[in-house]
Amino acid sequence: MSLILVGLNHNTAPVEVRERLSVNPSREGEIISGLTGLPGVLGASVLSTCNRVETILSSESEESIEPVVQMIVSRSGMNRVDVERHLYVLRNGDVVRHLFRVASGLDSMILGEPQIGGQVRESYHRSRELDATDPILRQLFDAALRVAKRVRTDTGIGEHAVSVPYAAVELARKIFGNLDGLNVLLVGAGEIGELTAQHLNGHGLRRVFVANRAHERAIELAERFHGEAINFESMEERLRSCEIVIVSTAAPHFLVRPEHVRAALAERRRGSLFLIDLSVPRNIDPAISAIEGAFLYNIDDLREVADKNREKREQKAVSAEEIIDREVDGFMRRLASHDAVPTILELQGKLDEIRKVELEKCLRRVGPITTEQQQAIEILSTSIINKVLHYPIIRLKETAAADQPEERESIRQQIRRIFGL
Amino acid sequence: MNLTLYIAVTLYALGTLTVLAGLYNRSIRLQRIALVFMCGGFVVQTVWIGMVCSATDHPPLTNLPEIAAFIAWLIFAVELFLFIRYKVHAAAFFVYPLILMLMTITVVVRAPFAPADPALDSNLFVGHLLLSTVGIASLLIGLAFFVLYRFQERSLKSKHQGRLFEWIPSLQVCELVSYRALAIGFGIYTAGLIAGFLWSYRTHIGTYDLRTKEIAAVVAWVLFAALLQSYNSGTLSTKKNLVISAAAFVSILIAVLGVQHV
Repeated sequence: MSLILVGLNHNTAPVEVRERLSVNPSREGEIISGLTGLPGVLGASVLSTCNRVETILSSESEESIEPVVQMIVSRSGMNRVDVERHLYVLRNGDVVRHLFRVASGLDSMILGEPQIGGQVRESYHRSRELDATDPILRQLFDAALRVAKRVRTDTGIGEHAVSVPYAAVELARKIFGNLDGLNVLLVGAGEIGELTAQHLNGHGLRRVFVANRAHERAIELAERFHGEAINFESMEERLRSCEIVIVSTAAPHFLVRPEHVRAALAERRRGSLFLIDLSVPRNIDPAISAIEGAFLYNIDDLREVADKNREKREQKAVSAEEIIDREVDGFMRRLASHDAVPTILELQGKLDEIRKVELEKCLRRVGPITTEQQQAIEILSTSIINKVLHYPIIRLKETAAADQPEERESIRQQIRRIFGL
Repeated sequence: MNLTLYIAVTLYALGTLTVLAGLYNRSIRLQRIALVFMCGGFVVQTVWIGMVCSATDHPPLTNLPEIAAFIAWLIFAVELFLFIRYKVHAAAFFVYPLILMLMTITVVVRAPFAPADPALDSNLFVGHLLLSTVGIASLLIGLAFFVLYRFQERSLKSKHQGRLFEWIPSLQVCELVSYRALAIGFGIYTAGLIAGFLWSYRTHIGTYDLRTKEIAAVVAWVLFAALLQSYNSGTLSTKKNLVISAAAFVSILIAVLGVQHV
């Protein structure tokens, strides 16, 4: 029994190759059926995201690798050498470790990103729906999803924003908690400003006001956020009803000055104003930082937050790898103990067969006896068989879970020879 | 009875040590373990309070060890509620040591859990004790969240995210919890003080017996009133308020440590 993974990802293949092999969900069933139809394949799943395309198989032997590679090559429309350059083939323990790392976000382009866990789950569910999983593959995916959850809960690896727009959202949530019902003023039409407003808008804002020198562009942006375009000149007045201000213009001077902020804060008895200056040169006067209730972050501040968060994720990844090491070890032990099951079942079946034959002979010789007496003899014979089998079964299970495959095989062969299996 | 108390204190001590270790390691798991220890201590302490009540036939509020333990119990009850409601981890770093400190007072000050003086058998007196104790617990929680608010505000202003940054809730939550706890606690505490004055006036036939405890209680009331006024006037983030809150904390501790009614 082998676990096999054939695939490529953002580290091994450029996007031009990944896009050729990415699997459209509508075609996934067809591909999985093709995989399970290969000789010796017991279960198959395909994980296709923008960063990876991987085929995970449970197979009777490693001979299934070659047809899978051929399938991938034919789907890519490229020549074999060009595809093989980007492919990796993993076996058994390496498959387990890889899937655990992938599901936990440790193999992602953005370390610890949470979406991949959901994508692994979806891929698993699709294979189950297609009845393309065997017990080993099911155990593998169940374990991967459990490990991913544990890694996230125990290390908190996905908790910190690692991009400028997300860092701004994270800070806004640290100031206001729930962003529900807040007003945002977006000044200018810079790309990062737009992106930041877009991220904030996904958190239930009440209204987004857009001010831009070119009013048409303001209208266009406002429509995108279901917000309101305002005149650039009325920005100062609108500031008073907004809790978050994003400024991203090419103006060479300060557009928001301390007196604007003081006036805005004076109108609310309690509350804060979060100002995000994404412009270079800066458009918000840094003196505003000193005003009580005003929190000013410029592009460098936000980058620093994102960089520090990236460092935090890298530190947490060390603990995550330790968790994965332990989980891979445990999973491989459990998997190995399954190898002993056929021998144990065969052993039990063989001795039970002997017991039944001998019991029948015995009952014929003894002649008529009561039902209770017959039951007592049956219990006695079963009990003797169980006692005889106890130590061989224990030994088989112990060696199956141990790390030495040679000893495991040797014990199995000895028991098979002794009992004539 | 003492064994139950010692078990509760041991569990609180383990919880406090674990939460401080969690602060050092930034470990969420350690915080959860600390919470389990504290919950264990809370359950055992609840049993202990029940035992004191049944042994003395009065609420466990008649002397310093009982009052300290009861305030600790109430603080944890409020902390637990806030944890469930707001998922606030950071308050634990202030609240657990405070609980341990109050419980240590209970263990170290070996006052007997004796039946109360018959002269204290008055509804007004029991009302004074209950209202003051609940009010103080709420005010202390309010202070803890005020400190968290200042920590978080400082981190956000200075753009330096310290160890507590990710665990302290948003400024809005800190302010809301702090304001509500202070406002509610202040009302209850005021009612407790009035009940105490009335009882004292009746007991001492028209005269007040002003000792350090009573003076500290009144000073604390004034300081908490000033702090609440700052909330309402929107001038919370001043250094003056930090001094006021520290003075209020000390005053309330003096008032609590002066309790001796048996």
